[in-house]
Amino acid sequence: MIGGTLVTLLAQGPIPADMGGVTLAHYLVVSAVMFVLGLVGFMVRRNLIIMFLCTELMFQAAGIALIAFSRFHMNHTGQTFVIFVLTVAAAEAAMALALVVLLFRRKETLDGAAWRELKG
Amino acid sequence: MLLALILIPLLTAAVVPLAPKRSVGQVALLGTLVALALAAYLTLGRDWSGPDAGRDLAVSAPWMPELGLVFKLGTDGLSMSLVALTALLGPICVACSFTAVTQRVRTYYGWLLVLQAAMTGVFLARDMILFYVFFEFTLVPMFVLISLYGSTNRKAAAVKFFLYTFTGSVIALAGIVYAAWFNANRVDAADPVAKALVAASPDLVLGRWTFDLASLQAAASRFMSAETQWWVFLALLCGFAVKVPLVPVHTWLPLAHTEAPTAGSVVLAGVLLKLGTYGLLKIAIGLCPAGAMAWAPTIGLLCLLGIVGAGLICWVQTDVKKLVAYSSVAHLGFCVLGLFAFNDAGVQGSVLYMINHGLSTGALFLCIGMIYERYHTRSMREIGGLAARMPIWATFMVFFTMASVGLPGLNGFVSEFLCLLGAFQAGDVWRSHPLTVGGTGGNLGPYVAAIAGTGMIIAAMYLLYMLGHVVFGPLREPHHDEHHSASGGAHDAEPRLPADLTAREIGVLAPLAVLCLVLGVYPKPLMRMVDPGVKEVIAAVEGARTQRPATRPVAEGDAGAAPALATQEAAR
Amino acid sequence: MTHLLSHLASVALAASPPAEGAARAAAPVLGRVVEGPWTAVLIPGLPLLAAVLVALCAAGRVRSKLPAWITVGCLAGAFAAAVQTYLAVVHQPGLAQGVRVLEWIHLSWGEKPGQSFAADFGLYLDSLTMLWMLFVTGLATLIALYASEYMAHDLGAGYNRFYFAFALFVFSMSCLVMGDNLILLYLGWEGVGLCSYLLIGYFYKKPSAVAAAKKAFIMNRIGDLGLALGIMLTFVQFGSVRYAEIFEAAAPYLTLAGEGRIGEIPLLIQLIPVLFTVGAFGKSAQLPLYVWLPDAMEGPTPVSALIHAATMVTAGVYLVARFLPLYQCSTWALPIVAWTGAGTALLAATIGMAQFDIKRIMAYSTVSQLGYMFAGLGVLTSAGAAYHVFTHAFFKATLFLGCGAVMHGFAGQLDLRKLSGVAFMKGWGIVGLAMLVGCLNLAGFPFTAGFFSKDMILAEAFASPTYQALGWVLLFTAGLTAYYTFRVFFRVFIGPKFYEPGDELHAHDDHGHGHGGAHGHGDGHGHAPAKAKATADAAHDFHPHAPGWAINVVMVLLTVGSILAAYPYLISWVPGLIDASSARVIEVAHGGEHAHGTFFGYDPHAVMYYVSAIVGAVGIIFAFVLHFVGRTGAATAKADALLPVFGPLARWAQNKWYVDEFYNFLVRVPLLVISHVLHLADKLLVDGLVDLAGFMPQAAGRGLRRQQTGALNGYAFGMVLGVGVIAAIGAVLLW
Repeated sequence: MIGGTLVTLLAQGPIPADMGGVTLAHYLVVSAVMFVLGLVGFMVRRNLIIMFLCTELMFQAAGIALIAFSRFHMNHTGQTFVIFVLTVAAAEAAMALALVVLLFRRKETLDGAAWRELKG
Repeated sequence: MLLALILIPLLTAAVVPLAPKRSVGQVALLGTLVALALAAYLTLGRDWSGPDAGRDLAVSAPWMPELGLVFKLGTDGLSMSLVALTALLGPICVACSFTAVTQRVRTYYGWLLVLQAAMTGVFLARDMILFYVFFEFTLVPMFVLISLYGSTNRKAAAVKFFLYTFTGSVIALAGIVYAAWFNANRVDAADPVAKALVAASPDLVLGRWTFDLASLQAAASRFMSAETQWWVFLALLCGFAVKVPLVPVHTWLPLAHTEAPTAGSVVLAGVLLKLGTYGLLKIAIGLCPAGAMAWAPTIGLLCLLGIVGAGLICWVQTDVKKLVAYSSVAHLGFCVLGLFAFNDAGVQGSVLYMINHGLSTGALFLCIGMIYERYHTRSMREIGGLAARMPIWATFMVFFTMASVGLPGLNGFVSEFLCLLGAFQAGDVWRSHPLTVGGTGGNLGPYVAAIAGTGMIIAAMYLLYMLGHVVFGPLREPHHDEHHSASGGAHDAEPRLPADLTAREIGVLAPLAVLCLVLGVYPKPLMRMVDPGVKEVIAAVEGARTQRPATRPVAEGDAGAAPALATQEAAR
Repeated sequence: MTHLLSHLASVALAASPPAEGAARAAAPVLGRVVEGPWTAVLIPGLPLLAAVLVALCAAGRVRSKLPAWITVGCLAGAFAAAVQTYLAVVHQPGLAQGVRVLEWIHLSWGEKPGQSFAADFGLYLDSLTMLWMLFVTGLATLIALYASEYMAHDLGAGYNRFYFAFALFVFSMSCLVMGDNLILLYLGWEGVGLCSYLLIGYFYKKPSAVAAAKKAFIMNRIGDLGLALGIMLTFVQFGSVRYAEIFEAAAPYLTLAGEGRIGEIPLLIQLIPVLFTVGAFGKSAQLPLYVWLPDAMEGPTPVSALIHAATMVTAGVYLVARFLPLYQCSTWALPIVAWTGAGTALLAATIGMAQFDIKRIMAYSTVSQLGYMFAGLGVLTSAGAAYHVFTHAFFKATLFLGCGAVMHGFAGQLDLRKLSGVAFMKGWGIVGLAMLVGCLNLAGFPFTAGFFSKDMILAEAFASPTYQALGWVLLFTAGLTAYYTFRVFFRVFIGPKFYEPGDELHAHDDHGHGHGGAHGHGDGHGHAPAKAKATADAAHDFHPHAPGWAINVVMVLLTVGSILAAYPYLISWVPGLIDASSARVIEVAHGGEHAHGTFFGYDPHAVMYYVSAIVGAVGIIFAFVLHFVGRTGAATAKADALLPVFGPLARWAQNKWYVDEFYNFLVRVPLLVISHVLHLADKLLVDGLVDLAGFMPQAAGRGLRRQQTGALNGYAFGMVLGVGVIAAIGAVLLW
């Protein structure tokens, strides 16, 4: 989350005349790496909290990409959108962690594989 | 007024849950009687024979203007006669259930009344979407009635009934929407033909989004190509043919009829099936007359299959109710056959058939229901010779069977004969006989009528087979009757019925019997009443016939072959 | 009756010279109708009123003879009205009279001819109509009176039901005969069918009666289909279903037919009478649809007498006679009618010879005599055919009612092997005498009415060069008829006295029987029937129940009627019976060589009296020798010794040539198989497809269900995989 905020801060202010060679591609690479990390983490890990954090990671990856594009196209819609995402993510985090606590109380474990009630 | 016809049953349905359990039936009866009184006042109190009769009754209110939807109710003699039939069967259905239904009565009567409101709405709606809403809404109450109050296999029957008819009508909805889209996007309001149409009747909305029945019919029948009409008609046919039901999409009917409670069967046979024929008559043919003409031979064939095939199937039934249910398939075959003759005798006969079938078959279901209430069986192996036990019932049974057989002097004959005559006249074969004066030309003809005529023999075969088993012959009664009602907890609350009919049951059947006789001997008022509506349909088809004599629709016989050949030609 | 006949005579003598050929009045103008007398409305009206009143009696649970008296009264009134109307019609020859009563079915879709359809409750009165109505109402009155006693065992619901159907029958028959259009005729046609159904199935607890009723209705319906198609074709061709308008529109064809140019008449017009014929054969029990009539004897005997002998079954003859002009326009219709009639006459006579149930013998003789009538129409002596209908109505009603009296008196016994010498028993003299008169008529004994009417047909057949063979068939049949008729008379009514009571067929319910609930032994012959053992413990013996006053009065009146029926012939008024109607034969111009058939060089009209008298006498003598001379008991006669001579033929004839079995095997069984196959196909194939359509989504869902592992990671993996696939597809497409 801090990473996401930093990126947001970085994107603010007037466009530096010289970005020191940091191009759109750099941001996108960072974004992609973060996303893949989150995705792989989500698929591989079984701890509910870690899985949740991985989703957050993916969120922020998408956020970075949005802001980068927004800056690139000089269009503020993307940034606005990210602010929304952040807000929602904050609320979501509160809910999700609460849920995780409740789930933990039920089965005394944080293993995601313990919950398979949706099996068809 | 028209709104009241729908609202009275609806309001009664709203009051019914509040009534004390003992008087629920009486409240429902009162509501339906009020509706009947109003319908009778409207039907009998004015002259319906003029072309504009009933126009002053029309109700119109904006509904969803952005979509062009209008809450529009209207009527003519044809619709009104069916509304009257619905209103008549209302109190009869309520009164026949007093002893038959003893559990969850509030729900029962409530849904029965909602059903009546929805059916009335179908006949009065003059906006296609409104029509569709009412048309579909009849499914819900019927589903509840079958699945809660039916006999052993009721769940499956209800689900099949619902899904089958629903699937059909969704396709019909596609057709309706296409017609509206066509009107909005393919019809130019500035076109001289369109201008002339609007000048003739200013209510028409051409070239804009609307679902107004008259506008869409004017637009589609004038501007849509025959081939498109063929497709749109097919879509509508999917919806209506299932409801009628035409062979081969009839199989939901025997099941639903057999499993439904008596009142449900009566409504099903009496009115719900007529929604299909009414839809074909009032919506489909008016919308796509050229398409209807192209489909006529196919539909004629299906009708023959129904008349002969379903008739023969009746003959080997052992379940009385199923027999009568299959007989509906055969009878409706006559009805649709007359309709697709597209001449006065045929269409007139078809409309009369709708009403007459509702009366006589509805009454037969009532009779069978009375037996079921007493013996808890419908099997001809278990009951027989009941004339000895129940002479009054037997008299009614014979009477209504004869009406159903089409005995002259009773109602069934007039309609059946006119349907056959219409089919007989509607043959292009007459064109090659210059001295013939009574042929109208069309796609059916004398051979079709002759084959359909065998249906008269088959009807006599299966209905007399039924009479011979159930009414006449040595008396057979199920032995377990006594402890059946004693052990089955559900029947404990049932009041014991006397051997023969009670005064209430006679009161339920007698009005139908009187009407059967009156309509058989003096059908003139009814025929005059529905005449404008009939003429309208024929005019639409005649218009299509004269307007586009060159473009014979591709559908006839070799539907696939003609376009295929055309593309081959183009490829070369 | 006598009043009428004397009046007839005066009219005949006043209106026309006595010579037969010249007696014909001016040809009727078929297209014109003048206003008729309102009294005609009473003829169908009073029976309808009777039906309504009897229905009210039934509703009021009347348990007396009131319904009988209501019916007899109303029918007598109808008969009076018929006489009155007949006189009015006869006084205005050449023109049909019309009375309109009520508008029925009206449709119109244009101004041109053929663009409107109108069928009303309207009456069409001419001499043909009124001839029929005279004997229908007259006989119905008498038979209703007879039945008041005959049905008395069933007072209450059954009695009311009987008289309701009876009165309704007379109403329907009047509609059939008097209607001014084909649709009303059809109403009557099916109406009499319904009444016949109800009355045949009167003893509804007997499965055989129910089956017979059903068979009659369905067989009739087969014919009705032909009639209905004929009506439709008539409408399409002539643009109307009203007689007057049909004949008007058909006038050009009638002219062509009169000029002998039948070949120029369109085939469709020629087809109309053929279709009508199908209907006529169904109603009048001709080949191949005759099988219902013998079975119809399950009904009470008065019904058999009225409906299945005298009136209803002649409806087909009426139809052909009414449309005789159209028949003359057709190349095939009249030959079909003639040959089918003759064939039926012969076939039914052979069956009748081998039966033992006297009522069935009478039934087969009815079929046979109806065949004669059709043959008469076919050889174009419509007057002869109509006259035979008239005479047959009287003598056959007499015969049936005589059989009915026997059945009534001997507890349902009808087997001629179990009765003998009935006429000599106490109280049975009148019945015996009536039977003798009836049998003489049926056998064609000289100077009886049946003799004259049969002769007219025979003579005309021999007079037509093309129908010589048919004449021989009919002549042979006449001999057989005389034989089987007197076989009944010699065995049952005279000879040594003997009887064995029946098993009380017609006491069908709990009301009990006035006179014969118990069965016993014959009078002193010591011949204890096995059947009687069931009730042998009954205290008293069986005593035959001699007919009461109502039956005797009716028997006397009918006997007198049968004898007097010869009167019109004696005063040469027979052609006048129907001349002023559409049944009049159109004289065909033969262009010079007018061929006239001869009987061995003699004029058939002159010589046929002697020939048929001899043939009839031979038949009677055969019956006398074989069934009377030297007969000591009831069960056997000399004829039995002859049976081996015929080999299996006798057995086949006794089993009605297995026609019923043949139909069953050829039509009913295949239909039943087809029905079952259709039912199965409907259930398995058509509905199976529907169920399959419902099953497929279910199966698909069941298959896809495995994908849902419930493990979160699995879903994520699936998502990634899905995105990957979409991306891959996108990449491939973009390439």
